[in-house]
Amino acid sequence: MTLWDLQQGATATVDSFGAALQGDYRIRLSELGFHPGEQIACVLSPNLGAPKLYRVNNTVYSLDDSVATLINLA
Amino acid sequence: MSKTILIGSPNSGKSLLFNKLTGLNQKVANFPGITVSISSGTNLADHENLLMDFPGVYSLRTISAEEKVSVEAFYAGLNDPQVSSVICVVDTTRLEKGLIFALQVINACAEFGKPVVIAANMMDVLDSHAMDMDISGLSEALQVPVVGISAKSGTGLNQLQQLISQHRDLPTAFVSGIIASDDSVVHRQAQQLAQSYGPKGDLLINAQTKLDRFFLHSWFGGASFLVIMYMLFQSIFTWAAPAMDAVESSLQMAAAWLVPMLPSGGVSDFVSDALFGGIGAFLVFVPQIFVLTLVVGMLEDSGYLARAAVICHKPLRFFGLTGKSFIPMLSGVACAIPAIYAARTVDSPRKRWLTYLAIPLMPCSARLPVYSLLIAAFVPSSYAFGGLIGWQGLAMVGIYLFGIVCGLLVTAVVSRTNAAMQTDLPFVLEMPPYRLPSWRPLVRNAWNRSKHFVTKAGKVIFSVTVVIWVLGYFPNHGTALGESWLGQMGQFIEPLFAPFGLDWKYGVAILSSFLAREVFVGTLGTLFGIEGGEENIISLAEHIQNSGLPIGAGFALLVFFSIALQCVSTLAVLRRETNSWRLPAQLFVSYSIFAYSAAWVTFVVVQAIAA
Repeated sequence: MTLWDLQQGATATVDSFGAALQGDYRIRLSELGFHPGEQIACVLSPNLGAPKLYRVNNTVYSLDDSVATLINLA
Repeated sequence: MSKTILIGSPNSGKSLLFNKLTGLNQKVANFPGITVSISSGTNLADHENLLMDFPGVYSLRTISAEEKVSVEAFYAGLNDPQVSSVICVVDTTRLEKGLIFALQVINACAEFGKPVVIAANMMDVLDSHAMDMDISGLSEALQVPVVGISAKSGTGLNQLQQLISQHRDLPTAFVSGIIASDDSVVHRQAQQLAQSYGPKGDLLINAQTKLDRFFLHSWFGGASFLVIMYMLFQSIFTWAAPAMDAVESSLQMAAAWLVPMLPSGGVSDFVSDALFGGIGAFLVFVPQIFVLTLVVGMLEDSGYLARAAVICHKPLRFFGLTGKSFIPMLSGVACAIPAIYAARTVDSPRKRWLTYLAIPLMPCSARLPVYSLLIAAFVPSSYAFGGLIGWQGLAMVGIYLFGIVCGLLVTAVVSRTNAAMQTDLPFVLEMPPYRLPSWRPLVRNAWNRSKHFVTKAGKVIFSVTVVIWVLGYFPNHGTALGESWLGQMGQFIEPLFAPFGLDWKYGVAILSSFLAREVFVGTLGTLFGIEGGEENIISLAEHIQNSGLPIGAGFALLVFFSIALQCVSTLAVLRRETNSWRLPAQLFVSYSIFAYSAAWVTFVVVQAIAA
């Protein structure tokens, strides 16, 4: 299961990054809070494939499918 | 002179703090990545201290060329013996994220022996929600001074100033015992520090989520986006109308008072035709530029623009762009120059390049006087649907949409046919909190923008107006414009514009507007002023109506101006951002050909319908 599959209102823990994600960007996502072991909540999942909103601690980020599908959940 | 570096994550309120400490007017907005270059200013409280505002970065480990430039400049600053301290600004409402960066900065400062102070910003937001944090506990844990501040209200700034002065007078090497180089350790430290000393509770994030559920709702979000954009364009007419009328009346009164007192002949004709007819015609539109900048600023400051970027992401992706392209494109509605700078927030080089292609087609404020003039001349000022929708406002929305659609079509075609810079970065955008806009900086920014527009464009318009007036007035002293030097030159180029129903006067105005679009209005004002003699004190729109210009030519002009890249400054900034004349030259030539062809098609179609 990837972050993109997480339903609105659900929470899950980050497990790993997909192989297609560049090294630099893995570090950046980790620095933003999307690092293995961290709990992420999906706060909004609009229809029509629009980017979804994820909460990491007290910050909300919008991620589209190109990156959310590369974050694997435990 | 000592120097102090201001650094922090994007949207931590660093530039607002810089403005408060220096009294300068650096652009601030509630959107990550607004500061795109290093600004410096003298500290108001300490004239021997220079403050330097660095662009916000998420990390000292960079992933883009722009971040690399900022971080290298930061390290160069740490090597500079004049730098006496570093102020790291963190947003207390999103403390953990700020602390990850602050720990990196503390690490770097310890390495270079520079004292660091943590400015815990947005304390006013915590206060307004009856929340608090343990500043002294955090300071003790970090082993560096932490000052709770509000850059907005000014709380805590005196204490921050005292620390800046203290470090200037008594430079001390900084040593920290909390340094960790491993990413996971830094992250864990930040998490623990935020949990132990940060504000407790989910009040802020819950309030933000409630609003997001409306503004990003699949249907309500799209509908509210369209309503907000319509109101933006309608406000340009309705809010600015009284001020525009006042400027026009004042100019007419001033002309009626001044011109009869001048000796008749060249001087009187110059003041009447060139000054009041040419420059005056342009000044009438300045209130619209003020309103446009104000409303775009309100949207930025409220935090809505980041939501608009999310709404637009999926559709923009179809056109080869990203949701992050929306902010520079909307900035382009005010002016292409800040829009090109704002495109630095688009982290993907390919998408940024495609955004550059779209920006010159955004309906910028320099086009506004031209659009307003032509719409006033060709579209009735009546209202439809029970007074709800004004035809002129609707026409303005239409021509604005036309420019935006052209921009999107260009990027859609180029993104599918050109494989340049295929390396891409995924879409991750931080959602800033919603805020009530701060009126004072918004009004100041709108005022400065209008003033800059008048002074910058005014110089060009004045020079062109004088040249046009001299060429149009001599050798027959304004008695027959068609036989003047300008008339002879205009008739030479007339065949170029005849295919879309324009006579030589409009041809001269178009050619002069390749310096800057708004020159078109001033040039036409001068030409009609010379031609009209004593009867020139009527609005330029009436002059156009009386000139018998076919409606197809009016629409062709609108189309021409919405596509052609008639702005020397835009070309120069594009060259600076891309380090080459290649892209500006390509855009200038291709958009000129595109504009000419589209204008011709418009003329033919509209004339056929009108017949």
